[in-house]
Amino acid sequence: MIGFLTRRTGAAIIVLLVLTGAVFVLQQYSPGDPVKAYLGANASPAAVAAERVSLHLDDPLLSRYWHYLTQAIRGDLGISFRTHRPVVTDLGAFLPATVELVVVAFLFALLLGALFATIRTLAGTLVRGILLVGATAPPFLLALGGIILFYAHLGWLPATGRGGDGFLLAHSLVTGDWAVFGAGLQHVVLPAFVLAVAPAVSIGRILRASLQQTLGADHVRTARAKGLTEAAVFGRHVLRNSIGPGLSMAGLQLGFMFAGVVVVEQIFSWPGIGNYLAESIPAADYPAIAGVTVVLGAVYIVTNTVVDMIQALADPRIAL
Amino acid sequence: MIASVDDLHVTLRGNPVLRGVSLSVRPGEILGLVGESGSGKSMLALSLLGLLPPDAHPQVTGTVEVAGVDMVHGSAAAHRAVRRRELGVIFQDPMTSLNPTMRIGRQITEVTRDRAQAVQLLEHVGVADAALRLRVYPHELSGGLRQRVMTAIAVAGRPSLIIADEPTTALDVTVQAQVLKLLRDLRDEYGCSVLFITHDLAVAAQITDRIGVMYAGRLAELGPTRDLLTAPAHPYTAGLLRSRLSLSTPRDRDLPTLQAEAGSRGSGCAYHPRCPLAVDRCAEEQPPLTGSDHQKSCWRDISDMPAGNSAPDPGGHGAAAEGEPVVKLRDIRCDFKVRNGWRRAGTLKALDGVDLDVAPGEAVSIVGESGSGKSTLLRVIAGLIKPTAGTREVTGGTQMVFQDAGSSLTPWLTIGELLRERVLKLGRAEQDDRIEKALTAIGLPITVATARPRQLSGGQRQRVALARATIVPPAVLLCDEPTSALDASLAASVLNLIRKLRGDLGMAVVFVTHDLAVARLMGDRIVVMTGGRVVETGAADDLVSRPQAEYTRTLLAAVPEITS
Amino acid sequence: MSDAAVVPRRFGVRARTPAVHNKNLNWVLIGLLGLITLIALTARWLAPDDPIQPVGDFNLPPGSPGHLLGTDLIGRDLLSRTLWGIQASWLSALAVVLVGLLAGGLIGLVAGAAGGWVDNVLMRLTDLFLALPGVLVAIAIVAALGPGLEHTLIGISIVWWPYYARIIRGEVRALAARPHVEAARLAGAGKGRILRRHLLPGAVPTAIVTASLDIGNVVLLLAGLSFIGLGQLAPAPELGADTARALSQLLAQWWVPVVPGLAVMLLSLIANLGGDALRELLDGRR
Repeated sequence: MIGFLTRRTGAAIIVLLVLTGAVFVLQQYSPGDPVKAYLGANASPAAVAAERVSLHLDDPLLSRYWHYLTQAIRGDLGISFRTHRPVVTDLGAFLPATVELVVVAFLFALLLGALFATIRTLAGTLVRGILLVGATAPPFLLALGGIILFYAHLGWLPATGRGGDGFLLAHSLVTGDWAVFGAGLQHVVLPAFVLAVAPAVSIGRILRASLQQTLGADHVRTARAKGLTEAAVFGRHVLRNSIGPGLSMAGLQLGFMFAGVVVVEQIFSWPGIGNYLAESIPAADYPAIAGVTVVLGAVYIVTNTVVDMIQALADPRIAL
Repeated sequence: MIASVDDLHVTLRGNPVLRGVSLSVRPGEILGLVGESGSGKSMLALSLLGLLPPDAHPQVTGTVEVAGVDMVHGSAAAHRAVRRRELGVIFQDPMTSLNPTMRIGRQITEVTRDRAQAVQLLEHVGVADAALRLRVYPHELSGGLRQRVMTAIAVAGRPSLIIADEPTTALDVTVQAQVLKLLRDLRDEYGCSVLFITHDLAVAAQITDRIGVMYAGRLAELGPTRDLLTAPAHPYTAGLLRSRLSLSTPRDRDLPTLQAEAGSRGSGCAYHPRCPLAVDRCAEEQPPLTGSDHQKSCWRDISDMPAGNSAPDPGGHGAAAEGEPVVKLRDIRCDFKVRNGWRRAGTLKALDGVDLDVAPGEAVSIVGESGSGKSTLLRVIAGLIKPTAGTREVTGGTQMVFQDAGSSLTPWLTIGELLRERVLKLGRAEQDDRIEKALTAIGLPITVATARPRQLSGGQRQRVALARATIVPPAVLLCDEPTSALDASLAASVLNLIRKLRGDLGMAVVFVTHDLAVARLMGDRIVVMTGGRVVETGAADDLVSRPQAEYTRTLLAAVPEITS
Repeated sequence: MSDAAVVPRRFGVRARTPAVHNKNLNWVLIGLLGLITLIALTARWLAPDDPIQPVGDFNLPPGSPGHLLGTDLIGRDLLSRTLWGIQASWLSALAVVLVGLLAGGLIGLVAGAAGGWVDNVLMRLTDLFLALPGVLVAIAIVAALGPGLEHTLIGISIVWWPYYARIIRGEVRALAARPHVEAARLAGAGKGRILRRHLLPGAVPTAIVTASLDIGNVVLLLAGLSFIGLGQLAPAPELGADTARALSQLLAQWWVPVVPGLAVMLLSLIANLGGDALRELLDGRR
């Protein structure tokens, strides 16, 4: 267990180094000049040159990267060229919105995936059909359809924003502020659903195949031969044995969702880090881009590690 | 009656698997059900359990009754109650039949609902440290222990009938003997009945009170074990008994075989195309199961059965030539790194100092249980594994025939392409000639050359594997349990073929098997292995009649034999 | 007749769904893959109007005479823009998948067949790439190189191959562990022959199916990246970018952003259906 966590931490450090390193190398070749963006178009050449020096932009790449890393360990990811605020402050302001959106979307995906995998009868076929077609649609098309239907036609849901700041849903849930919670929920439903459809199908497909395989396994026949009820057979002997592949797919999808959030946040003007990234890219705001990359990369790694641990818990044959 | 079926017909995916079976299990008896694969014996067991696979869309007519409950029409809840209260089951493969993610204890208490009782049960079926073992998972136990756990689960609900479907097929002979004894003891103690399903008449002979022989979805014969074995009434039973390879089968003759399965069964008795007694009536009318205590389903009288058909073996027995050995192994050692669950990697001594000489043209059988190192030794001779230490000298080429011929043939290549690969250096015309000769030698038509492996039957695939090995005759033919996946009658004909090829081509043969009877028939000499070491070597008949090593004696005692 | 003696199935799924093995339907779906490729290749001749120049009134709805799918804000023909967009999206997706398949397939094949330290080195490299959040790396690469379709393709291709390397390596390893490879070695086949005749043909079906099912993913990812401004530059037609640029018209002239979006969906749907059909046909053949 400890060996596993040590290995994973080591791997995580390498991955983060590669990610930030890539951003640093790439910015060397990028066409935009961040300082012009930083100071405004009519800054004097002298001011630009001075600023370049103070931002260490003319230092050799390696020394700049080293500087960045040593600062990052102290929790300083630099200053955004665009917002002129520390990147860490920006991330702190935008991250809660993204986390809440992704968590709600992930719950949707699990729920829909489970429905996809388990419902039988006509309703199941219908749900599967709708989800399958939905998953082939680009997220922005789903978002557009959702806005036209639920905002423009029915007026049930808002089209943009999230109705507050910070950990809105979590905070109102804990303090019992139901009015705020309800409003937050209304805002989050549509973007979360759009984000959840494709992952739900991926999870559902794998889970369904795995359930089918387990249902045909010999040990399930043994369980039935014991005279257990179908509920007991399913609950004790089928579910746990089938959940592994579904879980690892869910973990993979959670990672993808943190990346896919960029598109969805932009459509719904959701004030999260996806939106922050999308605005930083045209501004050539490299400290911000690197910051977002570090945060999302870390989230991705932590998710995968947790999923591996859950999988080992579910199946005693897997040793970490 | 504990359980009875009457005129039971079952159709799966439109194919009839049971075609009118009537049978009842008496209180306290062990009833054997014997038949080759596809005879319907397992489907009968699943019918009794009410667990026919739903995705095969089973169609059922006739009645199945267990403890007075209709297992065909009754409610699902009633079926469950019967399975819970009246039935216990042991399936073939204890690895897959136990839930891999659930502790042993939980799997037992699902039936007993009581931990103390679970401990008691485990002790009862001979599991040491029962209280500790409750906490382990199936993959942490050996095959024999797993089958004991399976047995504990089967008896946990104090059933009136235990259904055991090939419970010992996946086990070594010595473990098999223990499990058979356990089943008999449990029957005596609990007074339950046992329905014991097996493909091996000799195994059934060890334990059963009555035997039903199944053929193509029907009972061919049903009678008290002793009667049925000493005076079989159905030509199929008689044929099975005659073609069984035992420790007393003559070594100098062709092994007796049943006539191979002919194309279509058509109407009438399903066995008539293979039956030496068949008359016109057999092809037209299905014989009913008649008789009182010893029943048979046959129009003819068994006393008309012709005598045995085995001809003297033309192959060169004792043809081992003098001269330098073709295989010379000295102090071969082979270590494997193994990862054992949570523990650190350990070393497994698969071979622990083995010496072996094989003379030109000699046949050597290597016999041992799983894990004895016999297959590793064969792979060392073939050069597939490099030994950790020791010297290996092999003169002339070696070729190998694998246990599962199906998987040893590349699935997307035709038989012709597979054979041609061995003679690439020759001209095209000569290649074709050699392929034709090789196929003729193994008794298959030339047209097989254009077929792919999956279009052939198991027996045909093993023959093709032999043709591939011998198209260029090797100095040594290595056989790794080539017949253990085949039904008895097919196995005998493949063994005959190997003996014939050996005689014709003058090869030495090293034959690996777990079956002492087969080892004796295939080898001039037998080498007995256990734990990576050779414990005894001797001339085939000597070793069987006068075993020296303790282990050989244990092995011999565990071989199920039919004593008349 | 009765089929009551079977397991009741109130919970979960049945053990196996009776698949509709309709060979003809499968061939039709696979044919659609070819058809859409043909349309993509011939878009310049199929498109009735110039995709860049305004050719009609502003914001004509679909079904207008001369403009089957209507026109956009500045009067460009939507059908023509969509056809050109399909060309850009579909051919780009094919290129990315092909690059992934060739690079990943080669690495996977070599790693799987060689085993030992070669396998170790190649798979560690692959694992490193797999541990990176692929989409994010693609975004970062494109962001750094600057927007433009070529940059997007480079970015995606760099993160796309490891997936193939893993799958094909796994398939080759599984095949290499099968007795038939050992049997071929004993039969005297050399390394090259074993790779060519006894391993490669077994891995090809998996590779083809994986790749065809993947086309849809790439189409969606490309459209997504273009949507956030990391794809084709204006005014060249591109489905994701066209949707994004017309977002403000959503409530007034819904078809302007929705038509290119639907085209993306059509491409991804055809890719998925065709891939599934291909899988079914190849599975049935094994």
